[in-house]
This record gives sequence, structure tokens and C-alpha cells, in this order.
Amino acid sequence: MTAIYVPIDRWVVAARVFSLTAENLRRAGRDGKESGILWLGRRDKTAQITATAFPSGTGVEECPGHWRISPEVFGTVTRWAAPRDLCLLGVAHIHLRGVPARLSRTDRNCGVQIPGILEVIIGDGGDQLDYRKWSWYVCENGDYHQMSKAEIGKRLTVDHSIDFESCTVNAESVLFSTEAQ
Amino acid sequence: MDPSIQAGVDIQHSGSPQVAHEIVKVTVAYLPAPVPFRHVFRDETVIATVRIDALTFFGVQDHQDRDKHEFFLEFEGRRLTNMAETLGQLLGPHRREAHFNLIEEITKGAIDE
Repeated sequence: MTAIYVPIDRWVVAARVFSLTAENLRRAGRDGKESGILWLGRRDKTAQITATAFPSGTGVEECPGHWRISPEVFGTVTRWAAPRDLCLLGVAHIHLRGVPARLSRTDRNCGVQIPGILEVIIGDGGDQLDYRKWSWYVCENGDYHQMSKAEIGKRLTVDHSIDFESCTVNAESVLFSTEAQ
Repeated sequence: MDPSIQAGVDIQHSGSPQVAHEIVKVTVAYLPAPVPFRHVFRDETVIATVRIDALTFFGVQDHQDRDKHEFFLEFEGRRLTNMAETLGQLLGPHRREAHFNLIEEITKGAIDE
């Protein structure tokens, strides 16, 4: 893998990333559908996750058994993120109540295969609000490995003061966007 | 020089006059990458070359496992499918810069979970 992907030792996450993730994904969970959200920020040895992009509408499949976004949605997110110097650092999605909160073969195969990218599974249809009880995976050596509670505690910090921005997107455009605050 | 800029065009600086090839400054963004791919191409360069060079820079490639993973270039919101088209044909005679997005498309394979 090329040198542009600086190995990530730690992640500092804006607290609003977690609360907005839960707010957005629980709605679908309560309708009995999976949903997901992209986490963005600045990549470094200590990466900062400071933004979310919530796909909604055209180009987004929210179904009981899977959540999927079209390549065009990634295009819209890229057009929003690039001028802000944000890159993709993680993808979080929910599994419905009764479905194990762990990475399925499909999740693993369709995940972004770039070192350091996080895949986070939130159980109970998004009603599990404690991020320490989510399932955290990180892409390393071409596969995802699940982080233990100790590893999460060591490598993850929540920051309540860091700037945060967000957007809601579909395959055609950015539907809603906030500036850094 | 920005480390993400890769020199690709040999500009002649010798004494004799040269027929100048038009050059195009290309930027390609890939969402998981912290820096874009930047490169200067001649305008007769085909889109396939831009795509391959961007894939190399970002360390990704088309591949097949259970599913088919392919990368395409997006330009002004539309997917580029004609890999034989040149930058000059795509941009017209006056534009000397182009910004693309590199996007992965995953087509589900035959094996279901």
C-alpha cells in the first residue's frame, strides 16, 4: 500500500460524531431497516474524526437485511469532502435487534480496503448508544480485525471541544450541510 | 513542490522551437485518501491512462473476489465510460485543468451469504 496512508495509532473523535450517528441511524432501525453513515476527518498518526456524511434518499438502500450506497453517493460525498480537506476514516452502520453486532462476510467484503479505515457496527437497531459497546473493526493488512475493549480504550479518545461539521447527501447532491462549529 | 504532484510531461527547453503539446493539470480525489493525485498530462492522453495512474497512486486496483470491484473516474458528476477518449476531447480546446473523483463500484457476485 502506498505511503500516502499514514499508519493510524489513535483516533480523536468529535463527540457530536457519535450523537449524530445515533440520531440518524436509529430512525431507520425503528422502521426495521439497516442504515449507515460515513465518518470523515483528517488522517495522521493521530487521526481526527470531525465530520459525518449521512446518505439518504436516491442511491441509498436501507433494507431489513442490508444497507448499501451507490457509487454516485460516494461521488457526492467526495465533492463535499475534498474542498474541506476531509477524507474517509470510517463507516458505521446498524444491525437490527437480534442480529449480532459483528462484521458479516458481506460487510467485510464490501468494506473500504484501505489501512486504518474503521468499520463500526452498532447493535440493537441503533438503540445501543454507548460507543464502547459498539463493535469496532480496523482494516489492517488487507482485512478487518476487531478491536478489544482495551484497544478501544487505548486508541480512541472522545473530544467535546473539537470542531465538527456534517452533511446529508444522496446520489445527486448535498441535501444539507453544516459548517465547522 | 507538493509531494503529491508527479511530474509526467517532458517539456523541451532546448534552443530549437518545438511544436507545443497542450498540457492539462489533472487532480483526482479518492475519498479514503488524505491527498489527491496531481499530475500534468498531455492533452492527447486517454482517460484510461489517467485512471491507471490514479489507481497506482492510491494503491488500489480492480479485482474480483466474491464480488467484482471496479474503479471509475467521475467528471462533473458523471461517470466516464469511454476510456479511449482523450483529455483534449473531454475538456475541449480551452480548458487546461480537470478534476476527477475516483470511485469504487462493487458488483455483487453470484455467491450469496
